[in-house]
Amino acid sequence: MAEKKDRDLSVSRGEAVGVVAAQSIGEPGTQMVLRSFHSAGISSMITTTGLPRVIEIVDARKRPKFPMMEVRLEKNVSKNYDRVKDIWKKIEEIKVSGVMDRFEENLKSGVLLIFLNKEKMERYEIAARTVAARLSKMEGVSVDQDGDTLKIKVKEKEIRSVRTKFVKIMGHTIGGVPGIMKVVAQQDDEGTFFLTTSGSNIEGVLQIEGVDKDNVYSNDIFEVMRVYGIEAARNLIASELMKTIKEESITVGFRHLGLVADAMTHTGAIKSVGRHGIAGEKESVFARAAYEETVKHFTNASVFGEVDRLKGVAENILIGKQIGVGTGRVRLAIKKEELKKIRKRD
Amino acid sequence: MQAESIDSVKFTTLSPELIKRMSVAKLIVSDTYNEDGYPIDGGVVDQRLGVIDPGLKCKTCGGRAKSCPGHFGHIELVRPVIHPEFAKTVYLLLQSTCEKCFRILLSEQQIAEVRPAIEKFVKEEGEDEIVAPIVKEAEMRGSPMVKKLKSVKKCPHCGAPQRKLKLERPTFFYVEGNRIRPDEIRDWLSKVSNDDLSLLGIDPIATRPEWLVITTLLVPPVNVRPSITLESGERSEDDLTHKLVDIMRINQRLGQDIDAGAPQIIIDDLWELLQYQVTTYFNNETPGVPVARHRSTRPLKTLAQRLKGKEGRLRYNLSGKRVNFSARTVICSDARLTINQVGVPRRIAENLTVPIYVTQWNIDHAKEYLARTEYPMVLNVLSKDGIRKRVTDVNRDELLKALVPGFVLERQLIDGDLALFNRQPTLHRLSVMAHVCKILPGKTLRLNTSAAVPYNADFDGDEMNLHVPQSIEAQAEARYLMQPKDLILSPKDGRPIMFTEEDQIAGLYMLTKDDAYFTKEDTSILLSSVNIYDMPKKEKNGMYSGKAIFSMILPKDLDYTATSMGGKVVIKDGELVDGIIGENTIGFGGPLILEMFEKYGPDATEKFLHDVSTIAVRSVYTAGMTISIRDYYETEEIRKENERIVKEADEKAAALMSSYKEGKLESLPGYTRRETLELELRVQLDMAREIAAKFLQKNLTPQNNAYLMAMVKAKGNILNFVQISMLLGQQAVRGRRPARGYNGRILTYFKRNDKSPEARGFIRSCFIEGLTPTELYMHAMGARDSAMTKSLITAVSGYMQRRLINALQDLYVAEESSVKDASGALIETIYGGDGIDPTMEMIAKKKRQ
Repeated sequence: MAEKKDRDLSVSRGEAVGVVAAQSIGEPGTQMVLRSFHSAGISSMITTTGLPRVIEIVDARKRPKFPMMEVRLEKNVSKNYDRVKDIWKKIEEIKVSGVMDRFEENLKSGVLLIFLNKEKMERYEIAARTVAARLSKMEGVSVDQDGDTLKIKVKEKEIRSVRTKFVKIMGHTIGGVPGIMKVVAQQDDEGTFFLTTSGSNIEGVLQIEGVDKDNVYSNDIFEVMRVYGIEAARNLIASELMKTIKEESITVGFRHLGLVADAMTHTGAIKSVGRHGIAGEKESVFARAAYEETVKHFTNASVFGEVDRLKGVAENILIGKQIGVGTGRVRLAIKKEELKKIRKRD
Repeated sequence: MQAESIDSVKFTTLSPELIKRMSVAKLIVSDTYNEDGYPIDGGVVDQRLGVIDPGLKCKTCGGRAKSCPGHFGHIELVRPVIHPEFAKTVYLLLQSTCEKCFRILLSEQQIAEVRPAIEKFVKEEGEDEIVAPIVKEAEMRGSPMVKKLKSVKKCPHCGAPQRKLKLERPTFFYVEGNRIRPDEIRDWLSKVSNDDLSLLGIDPIATRPEWLVITTLLVPPVNVRPSITLESGERSEDDLTHKLVDIMRINQRLGQDIDAGAPQIIIDDLWELLQYQVTTYFNNETPGVPVARHRSTRPLKTLAQRLKGKEGRLRYNLSGKRVNFSARTVICSDARLTINQVGVPRRIAENLTVPIYVTQWNIDHAKEYLARTEYPMVLNVLSKDGIRKRVTDVNRDELLKALVPGFVLERQLIDGDLALFNRQPTLHRLSVMAHVCKILPGKTLRLNTSAAVPYNADFDGDEMNLHVPQSIEAQAEARYLMQPKDLILSPKDGRPIMFTEEDQIAGLYMLTKDDAYFTKEDTSILLSSVNIYDMPKKEKNGMYSGKAIFSMILPKDLDYTATSMGGKVVIKDGELVDGIIGENTIGFGGPLILEMFEKYGPDATEKFLHDVSTIAVRSVYTAGMTISIRDYYETEEIRKENERIVKEADEKAAALMSSYKEGKLESLPGYTRRETLELELRVQLDMAREIAAKFLQKNLTPQNNAYLMAMVKAKGNILNFVQISMLLGQQAVRGRRPARGYNGRILTYFKRNDKSPEARGFIRSCFIEGLTPTELYMHAMGARDSAMTKSLITAVSGYMQRRLINALQDLYVAEESSVKDASGALIETIYGGDGIDPTMEMIAKKKRQ
């Protein structure tokens, strides 16, 4: 049998790691599901999964379709369900429409009657008084409270704008963290409670007492960048990709996903992989033209007198030269004197 | 071969002067050929522009159709027109400059602020050879300075008020409702100074803005737009020629009318028509412009259409090329080949060639080869100046005499040559590998089934391509980097991508299960199939254990322990002590193959894979393995259980529905009550199949060969079993129970709003019994949905992959394992954080432990 060799495990110089990464993610793409919803467990949150989620991340969409957070709690509360419930109530956003029974509106006079529901208010532990107080802070709104009925008058005159104001009033946040639509408490294997939310607002959640501030997770890449910075966003891109791919029971090495994330974020901002991101902002005119929007790139290049220095792969293929990655990167170097010697010998 | 190498390409616009200098003929006649079918002088197929008819000579260079590359001509437009593709740029320039003094709408102070920034930019970008600023479109449009210029009301230089400009697509400009004519625009633009232009990021050397208004139109050579002669002898002109004729015709009419002093309206009309013709000449898909059509109502393919898109010049002809030295045919499997080989039909081998570069050292060998008159013989001889001559019996002696070093002989493909083997879609780099050719009788390309995995190939009619690398460099690359035996580990996750499957897994089970013993005769047959002629040591009543037989193909110092199939697999000193070699040991992602590759390298692993599969398949032959419908046939027991399961599902569903009707059903958080009911029903009904599977698992024995195959993961799974002999279960359309069709029901057979299991795609029959008519519809709906999804997902994921590759293709590993892109930007400081080859990922992981 062959002798035991000590293998060199490091990457070769020039290896086209970008293409390898792209292929490693793209090739199993056909095996992924197209279904965007995932509701295996009844209580679990709806999130985007499978190929749609991968595309969402790679496209660097400003907001995920289903933003989601996982909020860990401080040690002294995380085992106590009652205290967990308290925090839960503080986090879940309460809207006026969420605590009312019905409403009556008079668009002509600009008066809105809201009949609050006692049970619902009890569940959120909020009093009619507080609702009225919160609402009166809105601009151009005056509130009269009479038991569980709120009489609201708005400044607007025109029927259309009165209506939009009414809609705004009913969607007004009166408690909780804005943007957190739903909270579910879950228990992990050790019996510790944690909260998963649909909707994401990191800054809001961080201000709630009892939240473990070092263990707040959101799947909203842009929000993570805003709050924690670009490195965090880079890690999130890679780990979110890993998570979605793993769910399909496909294994892809983390370095590939990390490389995609690095390529998307190395400028300090999040750039998408498509025509408006990395591929569309390449230096080479030919590379851009060969990808998409051919004519636009050529005409603009001529106006600005752009020079294509033929460094990348696509443009060299186009021109018919050897590409500058892999074995194409290797050059033969020889000293001039040596060359002369060889020539003489011939 | 690369005598001259292009270093860089600069993009500019052509000035009228340059066009005239390039041009060999001013075209004046709006016609192509005269009655004799002879090109008219001054027409759009003027012979000075080159010739395409084989008989004629080019009037400029005197070359024939093949040797003359063609020459440009030009048309002088009587009235200027806007270049449609540059209309936006023109608009921007008009907005940014004063209509009175033509200065940029920036005050001197602002200019002073901006200039150093631009100059710095120029220095950074251009080093020394490029003087003009290179500001990308995005940066220019995006800069707040340029954006503001649109809304400047008063010129900071002469104080003239700036009126509002409007661009009406595609090429009409208005100032406060009054049209500005192209000649006025041209005058305006020509008065903008170079200095001001560079402030906008425009390179005045590359493009003077007045050039964007066309006065002289460049006419491409006829070689670019060749006419074709139909069978009937009729000539059919290229779309571009048609368009040029149109432009000429309108241009002429316009000229005549102007000379005759026609009323302004008529002239304006014609002018507009000229603008239209030129617009469609450049881009026949310009938004807001009616598409120019051929007589047959087919839209004309003009300049932009030639370049654009998947079938355009860039992607179809420049990024991808047609090749020679390749073959394509149907593939089929051949267990006698190793993963590293490909079986090539004799007929293909006779036509594909490999070059022999004749030198002073191999000239005798070359001569011998050239003298051959049957199969491995020389087909062509390339002389020093590259002229290819076919070798025939007539000229062979003559060629032999002329043979000197520097010649190239093209000999037929023989055993041992390397050829690139490929299957489309080429989704990853393992879709192209360099196999060693083995010339075989037959008409199909053949490969080992394990080697089919990375190609994602099966043998139900798949075709594959074979390419023979020609240059020494290409052959070396193929040899050292692309052979399947070196690529057993996938770069995706570092696990083996070539492994044993199906029959081989079944065979290994038969061979290595605990009670497997073989007679001396069987043992020797098994071992001789893998060229082993010693007998295993362990003997029991004259019988040899399968484990001992399997151990014969293991290296003598292999140690391996793992859990597998609920038991343990222990290999000690190359001896399989305990356990069954199953799918999770040697199948998909198999750790044993990884172990082999790590310890003994590619060649040993190649041999191991070959031996394992050979001996495994031989074992199934020996043991015998057959399935029939009887394996699936329902017994009374199964039938009863099935009835129970269906009844249980029905009851559960009925209970849920009644609790919903009575209002007892609690809604789940975030769902309405109706959604909750649907969700719960789905969960319950989906379960029926799983309950059935559990029952079968308990009641079937490995005596049932079909079940055995499913159990050892050779082929099929328990769910197939359930569907064949118990029930099909709940069908799903778009991840839910079927719900569409008629109003409130799927088939008219059901009552409206019937939510019961059978009305919503719950199938209680099995394949053996056959489906009821309603069930058949439900099943067809589910089947169609999954077929649609499958075809959609290939399109979606294909496009995603194209984008990913386009974005990442320039990344490479630079010094110190860092990753850089084409512009030299640092993407990662150390690749993957550790600089480890992705193929070696699993091995590295093992080493770390």
